[in-house]
Amino acid sequence: MEPCIIEFIGEKSIIGIVPNFSFEPLHLISGSVGPFRAGLPVHVPLWLGIHLRKQQKCRIVPPEWMEIELLEEIKEAEKKSKFFTKMPSEHYMVEAQLIMSTAPDDVPKCEELRTIIKDIFDIREAKLRTSIDAFIKGEGTYAKLDNLTLLEMHTVRPILPHSLDHIARYQRTAMATQRDTSTLGLSNSMNTSHFSQ
Amino acid sequence: MAKSNKMFADKAFELVKELERSSQTIPPFDDDGVRQVLEEIKAIFEENCAQAANYSTSGDRTLWPLLNFRHAALQRNKRCLLTYLYKRLLRIKALRWEFGPIIPADIKTSLCEPEVNFFNTYSKSLASYMRSIGDGQGIDLTGDLRPPKSLYIEVRCLEDYGKFELEDGEVIYLKKNSQHYLPRAQVETLVRQGILQHIA
Amino acid sequence: MSEGDIIPPLSDTEQNEDFDDEVDEEELITAQKVLEIVETAWKNELCAPEILQHQTDMLELMLGQVAHMEENMKDLDKNDFRFIVHQMELERIRYVMASYLRCRLQKIETYTRHILNEEETREVAEKRLSPEEFKYAQEFAENVEQYFQQVALQYMPNMQRAEAEQRIVRPNLMSHVFIKANVDVPSVVVGVDDEEVDLTAGSQHIIPYQLVSDLIYKNQAQLI
Repeated sequence: MEPCIIEFIGEKSIIGIVPNFSFEPLHLISGSVGPFRAGLPVHVPLWLGIHLRKQQKCRIVPPEWMEIELLEEIKEAEKKSKFFTKMPSEHYMVEAQLIMSTAPDDVPKCEELRTIIKDIFDIREAKLRTSIDAFIKGEGTYAKLDNLTLLEMHTVRPILPHSLDHIARYQRTAMATQRDTSTLGLSNSMNTSHFSQ
Repeated sequence: MAKSNKMFADKAFELVKELERSSQTIPPFDDDGVRQVLEEIKAIFEENCAQAANYSTSGDRTLWPLLNFRHAALQRNKRCLLTYLYKRLLRIKALRWEFGPIIPADIKTSLCEPEVNFFNTYSKSLASYMRSIGDGQGIDLTGDLRPPKSLYIEVRCLEDYGKFELEDGEVIYLKKNSQHYLPRAQVETLVRQGILQHIA
Repeated sequence: MSEGDIIPPLSDTEQNEDFDDEVDEEELITAQKVLEIVETAWKNELCAPEILQHQTDMLELMLGQVAHMEENMKDLDKNDFRFIVHQMELERIRYVMASYLRCRLQKIETYTRHILNEEETREVAEKRLSPEEFKYAQEFAENVEQYFQQVALQYMPNMQRAEAEQRIVRPNLMSHVFIKANVDVPSVVVGVDDEEVDLTAGSQHIIPYQLVSDLIYKNQAQLI
């Protein structure tokens, strides 16, 4: 998946806006939105919210998690934990990026928030790289990736799956070679655990 | 390079390498190279046939490694040649997606006749597939290549253009370096003309 | 402002085909649900090394819905708020459908012979390709073969049947993929040495595709 596709998927997240116009509900295929009442908050998909904001037809209500204290806590938890902590939103990077670049004025302490979010992302990326390193050295073929968000997963793509595919290929070749030699009586062990401990 | 220094299948490998190196949309079909490889294949095959006959009458096992070696060279030649042709097909297919059903004239000269035939058949087959999708409703798959960002795009004005009236009657002033968020369809022409620049 | 933009539920779309017992189910399905299914199929297809089962029924329903929406929008002013928003959504849906079908075509073109061989062994209900895709795959295989014949194969001496076999390109089913479990799935084999793991709903994993392909098929997990 290319970055533009990840963004496209993230744009389906629901956010709050406060429109400055009134309109009846719209029955979209993906679900209904509205009614829009000037000054009253309403939930819409991110792609629609961004569009309306660019047209100056609304103000964006920052998601609840875009808040300094909460994010500081998350950052500390992320630092302390060996594992990935659960992010407040599956698409936190896409949401932050789109909302903050389109409507910095709608987000109090926008710059500070931007920095913390980037910090959290960096901590997680570093953790991800360390675990990948350990994972590959441990010659595993399977790993649990709980709480990793789509975008984060794709920062290691295609390198991670490809390198694993290559390792697996070498292992199969090694096994085949071993099989050949074992049929010649040079080895009597074909235990797969040699390669996957 | 003196002929004696050459290995079997050098030419075939070169075909593949040359194609990979080429940054052209598609380099001219190497007629001569392909013929040379085919000749080498034929020559190796004939030599091997002769010696295989020799082997079966004489039973001379010392011929065995040589027969094997030639066979491997034969396989490598075939493999490289087919790779060359296949890699070209990939580029030819890409032409259909990029330029539509007509190959631009300057590119067409790079294709050999069977390649042009391949393109035409591919083009027709793809078109009829696209028409048949969804019980005949049809979708043009060569469009919508990237996720839609929006019906509107952000543009920066590169020169003082002046008044520009939108379809809904709104009039905007396109001043040098001013930025606007406008309906894509209505400003595409100005973008192509270089008056507006699509940003972000 | 009229309420003219209410789209009738999908049950209004005509169902000419005889899907035997599936008809009832499909008539009850909402457009929103169809879109979800199409989007999941799209994401799975993008991430799977092999071609997955076609989704012709869902795709046709979605196309019908899109056409219907376009019809309803015909009389709206192009600058009408409703027109713009619906149009934006339709572009998103069209993109998903086009991207999905393109991804399948790409697999069909890469693994043509392999896919056609496999299709021959499959029962009608198990077919991976739609009839249209199958026709396309056959034409493509023929076209490529004819080209190879014309330019090279006919000049190669002693071509063996085995060599045609060697030219078949197969997907690497053991390539690693990212998955998310949709439901709890107990004791899934996750390694070549038969190691087993219980997947809990919502959990994510990286794993060789082949070990979980049946979970994808049964919608117990999705590729991400």
